[in-house]
Amino acid sequence: MTADPVVDLRDVSLCYRLAKQRIPSLKEYALHWVRGALVYEQLWALKNVSLSLSAGERLGVVGSNGAGKSTLLKVISGVLKPVEGRRAVRGRVAPILELGIGFDYELTGDENIYLNALFLGHSRKDVESRYQDIVEFSGLGDFVRSPVRSYSSGMLARLGFSIVTAWVPDLLILDEVLAVGDMHFVKKCEERLAEFRRSGTTLILVSHAAEAIRRNCNRCLWLEGGQVRADGPPDEVLALYAGSSAERPGA
Amino acid sequence: MQSCGVLRSLLRHRDLIWALVQRDLRVRYKRSTMGLVWTMLQPLLTMSVMVVVFSTVFRFDLPRYPVYCLAGILFWNFFSQSIVASMVSLRANAAILHKVPLPKEVFPIATVISGVVNLSLALVPLGLILLATGHPLRPSLLFLPVAILVAALFTLGMGLLLSPLAVFFTDVVEMVSVGLSLLMYLTPIFYPMAIVPDRFRFVVRFNPVRSILEVFRDPIYFGKIPPLTHLGVAVGFAAVALLVGAWAFRRNSDKIPYYV
Repeated sequence: MTADPVVDLRDVSLCYRLAKQRIPSLKEYALHWVRGALVYEQLWALKNVSLSLSAGERLGVVGSNGAGKSTLLKVISGVLKPVEGRRAVRGRVAPILELGIGFDYELTGDENIYLNALFLGHSRKDVESRYQDIVEFSGLGDFVRSPVRSYSSGMLARLGFSIVTAWVPDLLILDEVLAVGDMHFVKKCEERLAEFRRSGTTLILVSHAAEAIRRNCNRCLWLEGGQVRADGPPDEVLALYAGSSAERPGA
Repeated sequence: MQSCGVLRSLLRHRDLIWALVQRDLRVRYKRSTMGLVWTMLQPLLTMSVMVVVFSTVFRFDLPRYPVYCLAGILFWNFFSQSIVASMVSLRANAAILHKVPLPKEVFPIATVISGVVNLSLALVPLGLILLATGHPLRPSLLFLPVAILVAALFTLGMGLLLSPLAVFFTDVVEMVSVGLSLLMYLTPIFYPMAIVPDRFRFVVRFNPVRSILEVFRDPIYFGKIPPLTHLGVAVGFAAVALLVGAWAFRRNSDKIPYYV
């Protein structure tokens, strides 16, 4: 394949700077700065991560809690700018780092469809053209006219997923979102993922469910301590990962 | 080149900005006429207090003082409330800033636009006061949209400059509030320029906020479009504030999700 990669990360490192003394106020900051006693603890959430994905690749990401999976997704989706390294992402990105982000609980489902899609960078006209599809896929029926605060968490997840996936993206990023919702909805989600696969969408999926990765991905990345431990076919990487967690029971 | 990218990205999110404005207004005027009444009543009440204070305690004679004072209060409310609300807006939308890539300027911009809507609504009681005091209604009032635009651009600049700071340090909002009340007394809102002692006059004169205020108040109180030189200075201040604010915001923009 000679086409440019959809995602291209080169030596990306990212550190969260945690002040040893939490310095939330300007006054304290000034005082500590004057005394020269401002000590930061650096937490490297990602270290020298390189990753290149071409169109149509479907990457599963595994790793224990705090391995940097969510941070990696934030860097790829453009929420966080890495401290070091280069990031290049091509095309339309649909990041689902959390379902129903930006929902306003006092507004109705209807109004939230607009608000949420607008946050994702769509125009009002765009949303109007997809509105029917979103409502249908969510299966909420007349509930879309009720305030979102009366929804169950499953309903929220369904609505959130329906909005983000109403447009076929070049890159779809999913963080653990298939874990919520009932069996029926998960099946519908995976059907939609299959549709996207046929249109050549690149997928990045973070999941703790090995089965979900086997079903939906053709490549797997294992992150540990912010570094890439393995990158390859899902079966191999998942076996390595499973082996390592067996060595450390309870980890 | 980078600023072109930001502008294009903001343009792409223009429907979002408008939706945020509508949400702001809905929260403020939710299901009640009281919200609306309050926006109009609050400046009138403040004005009444000032009229009593300045016509009995501190005497100075300014013809049709209520008009002078109310115009000043409306401007000041818009300016100070928009700045504080801009600073709060980033923290209030922390969840979104953590999860969705978008130009973060949308929040201060939407805040200032809803401020403009509130200011426009508050012009209704001002009109009533104009009629009640027999103040001549001059065509210069038609200049107000331009004056409001200048005030809005200036305010947006200040909001963009200060809002990232409010994310990095929690006490900045309080500091700015104190600063704003000091600034209020350095701006001839309640008092005429003439009562400022000569020694201090230069402070008030070179206060940029005074310049912006007068462009707004002249057409209402004096019934004249501000002279071109005054207007030029005000537009200059607004442009500088906006450029500096936009630049400072951009510089800090990438750090915001780390701290918010």
